[in-house]
Amino acid sequence: MQLKETEVRANLIPDNNGYKKVKFDSLILLPYRDADLSTVLSQISTIFIKSYSPGSLATSSFRGTPANHTQVDWNGISLSNPMLGQSDFSQIPVSAFDEIEVLYGASGLTKTSGAFGGVVNLVTNPDWNNRIHATIAQTVASFDNYTTEAGAIAGTSSFQSHTRMNYSSAVNNFPYNDDFTGEKVIQSNANVLQYSLTEEAFWKLKDKHLFTARVWYSYDNRDVPPVVEGSTTYYPQKMLNKTLRSILEYKLVERSWNLSLKTSLVNQFMNYRNDSMLINNDHNCYTSFSSARFSWMGVKNLTIRPGVDFTYDYVKSDSYSGVKTRNILGLYLEVAYKFNDHVKSQLILREDYLDGAFMPFVPSLGLEYKPLNKINLYLNANVARNYRYPTLNDLFWEYWGNPDLKPEYDNVIEGGITYNYPSLSGKFFIETSVSGYYSWMHDMIVWSPLPYNPSVWQPQNVSEVNARGIEASLNLKWKVGKLQITSSNNLTFCRSTYEKTNSPEDLSLGKQLIYIPESTYNGTLNLNCWNFILGYNLTFVNKRYTTPNNQAYMPAYSLSNIIFGKSFNLHTFAISLQVKVNNLFDVDYQSVKNWPMPGRNYSLTVRFEFKK
Amino acid sequence: MMLTGLIMYFLSACSKEPIREVTTPPVNPPTDTSKVVYNNGVFIVNEGNYNWANASVTYIDNKSGLAYQDIFKTANSRGLGDVAQSMKISGDKGYIIVNNSDRIEVVSLKDFKTIKSVTGFSSPRYIEFVDTTKAYVTNMRRNISIVDLKTLAVVKTISTPYWTESLVRFGQFMYVTCIGSFNVPTADRKSQIYIIDTKTDVIVDSLLLGKEPVSITVDRKNKIWVICTGGYDNYEAPTLQRIDPALNIVDKTFTFPVQQGVPSRLCMNPTRDTLYFIYNGVYQMAAGANELPATALIPANGHLFYGLGIHPLTGQVFVSDAIDYVQSGKVFRCSQANGQVLGSYTAGRIPGSFCFTPSSKK
Repeated sequence: MQLKETEVRANLIPDNNGYKKVKFDSLILLPYRDADLSTVLSQISTIFIKSYSPGSLATSSFRGTPANHTQVDWNGISLSNPMLGQSDFSQIPVSAFDEIEVLYGASGLTKTSGAFGGVVNLVTNPDWNNRIHATIAQTVASFDNYTTEAGAIAGTSSFQSHTRMNYSSAVNNFPYNDDFTGEKVIQSNANVLQYSLTEEAFWKLKDKHLFTARVWYSYDNRDVPPVVEGSTTYYPQKMLNKTLRSILEYKLVERSWNLSLKTSLVNQFMNYRNDSMLINNDHNCYTSFSSARFSWMGVKNLTIRPGVDFTYDYVKSDSYSGVKTRNILGLYLEVAYKFNDHVKSQLILREDYLDGAFMPFVPSLGLEYKPLNKINLYLNANVARNYRYPTLNDLFWEYWGNPDLKPEYDNVIEGGITYNYPSLSGKFFIETSVSGYYSWMHDMIVWSPLPYNPSVWQPQNVSEVNARGIEASLNLKWKVGKLQITSSNNLTFCRSTYEKTNSPEDLSLGKQLIYIPESTYNGTLNLNCWNFILGYNLTFVNKRYTTPNNQAYMPAYSLSNIIFGKSFNLHTFAISLQVKVNNLFDVDYQSVKNWPMPGRNYSLTVRFEFKK
Repeated sequence: MMLTGLIMYFLSACSKEPIREVTTPPVNPPTDTSKVVYNNGVFIVNEGNYNWANASVTYIDNKSGLAYQDIFKTANSRGLGDVAQSMKISGDKGYIIVNNSDRIEVVSLKDFKTIKSVTGFSSPRYIEFVDTTKAYVTNMRRNISIVDLKTLAVVKTISTPYWTESLVRFGQFMYVTCIGSFNVPTADRKSQIYIIDTKTDVIVDSLLLGKEPVSITVDRKNKIWVICTGGYDNYEAPTLQRIDPALNIVDKTFTFPVQQGVPSRLCMNPTRDTLYFIYNGVYQMAAGANELPATALIPANGHLFYGLGIHPLTGQVFVSDAIDYVQSGKVFRCSQANGQVLGSYTAGRIPGSFCFTPSSKK
């Protein structure tokens, strides 16, 4: 790792027309390149990750919303499975992309409708100054976990090719305390084999035309480990995912207008086998997504951005009767207007036409105010209405799906302050942001037993959720002689409550949603000096209720992780070593009830780089 | 700095105690079970959620009317397991069937401590005693287990091609309902009843029934009653069928209206002349009736009635409300005369079945 000079670059984007956006660049992500997206988001972002156990499902709760309200995009196309409407964050390797953009709440409407929490966009952009940059890294970690990452980025000032692969295998045979027997046992049946291959090509013509082609194949085969309950028999449960994603993009940049076209094809194959329930089902989804955006800047201070999106889903599943398809035609209009040097605004309008019917209109308005000329202080606010369509499983799951579901909808308002201060010398940079949101979600879809037949569970538009909270962040970069100090801190408070009950005995009204913490904190402190790096990360998760009436909960926990590294630079070569200690204090914890988590564990990464 | 203070606070949250679920006790918590004698009350078996391993047993003491939560954990310092299906008592022992843990916890009724965790089942459902030495256990996966009650071990299995569910002893024979293959559409499932000679442990006869026969009982006139749901995919209308064991034929079939609900949990009153079942609400039906009852004894009124039991001495109706299948359920004790609620109790998650102590008195 060649440690770059401190780039004074805001991660808390202050100037986004009233919408909140945060960026994690490749330098921030560097220590996490052997990890998956769930680890990095839980340690450095405000998104809460609910991780069952190493090698198992990891889902998100973004701003107090359920898991299917965070959309994960890869360069603007959705990674979510159209059947489930959500992504498994444990299946996305960090080494497959360069940067993460987090679009909070209504900010995500520029990408999609329906993600009430927001959008996590995984981005790779070309560096036209690059000639050759080759990397190979090997990580060896506790519990027989091995990860190999290799990449070759090469090109000219008009053509760049990125080739990357990663291969990881994990046994996850960690010891834990079995509450059932009171003995220390070794986790079993938690194997994961995962590999992915990415090729991205960028071609620039006359600084006007940009052609991009991307392909990403990933393979993930894992055991689903059993819940801790003292069972003597284990019936294998396995999940196999094979995904191929491809994107073609074209961008034309003119003086007063530009055009951006994109088309993509995604095939997601999943097999789930559960020998206990005698299930062995294939699910095969094809999604084609195309979009066009035209930006016109013909009048001073005004940008008008009309666009059209088209999504086609084709699903063949052993759990559906017959092939199911869905098509969504989306009309999009974005108008950004700069009133003066202090006030900017942006209007986003969406209208979707789904399977031949117009869906409700999605409007959003953002306002940004910069009161002072010389001080980077920004006040942001936006108001929006958003709709989310039922997932294909909600609609079509054999016998239980409910084709009559309505979309969920959300009225949301948010506001925030962002401030940053770069010192003139460039040696000190501080940025901070505080924002609050208030969101009321209606017609939320919940799988619940039918009133006339409790043995049949059906998704129904029965719930209402009120989520409100505060997010605060503070980042620092400071150079003292040879020493470079960076620190990032995120604090969240969230009340997300059930606001509608359907049974006279239901005691959940006004109570916190299950498995959504009321507060979280994560902080990182990194020290760099003479190509040494010493980093400390602290992640705190407050109690999560496990019952809707909030009668039982999982207590709060804090995890500490440290990282120590050294790199040696020899002209065009660099060799770096990195040691990580996770769960430093060996906390015996569970994130989800009865799913074991590992105690203190270690990893060692050796990385070779060649750069010219 | 304030930040340092915050970090110290967060670090202080990382205690050395294992971080596990904490349950805040309900109001008026009788947590001290040391003085409780399990000889006059009802055990409520709370299934818990599949794969959450949060099954539990609640005990309601008849005398004091108090509900004691999670008595298995209190007595044994560990959880009961994943999905507790049912419980039955023989002598001074309780047998709790923990379905997804493939186990039967045999507990002493003196203190509810485990005498033995019997293993060797394949998704066990219900137990029925042949005598004081032998019991049959149905399994979702293709056999009936025979448990020796002296050694508390599975000593034999009767192989069946399909999922066996509910069972009742009738003289020398055991009547066992069979749902069919686990993972096929209802149309392809062979629903039947096996008649097993308990002396030889051999299936001596079988009888075709309506789809998904889930619940079985015997009346005072020696007729066997079965509820068939019609299939999880509403393959056919649900039925209540009566079997004449003398001839081994279905001699009566009552058909429920299609799409209005699914009947379950067939029970008998102490004198065994009245049937009870859940069909949204709780219904009461004389064994000699010529048609299904038109109105419910206890209407559902928004409740999600899930488990049903009839007190073997008083005849009072115990019905559980699973609410949303996640929060703690409720149990209502109702009058068999008019359905009026006489008492209500908080139970655990998904209260599914009841087990009354042998000497239950009012």
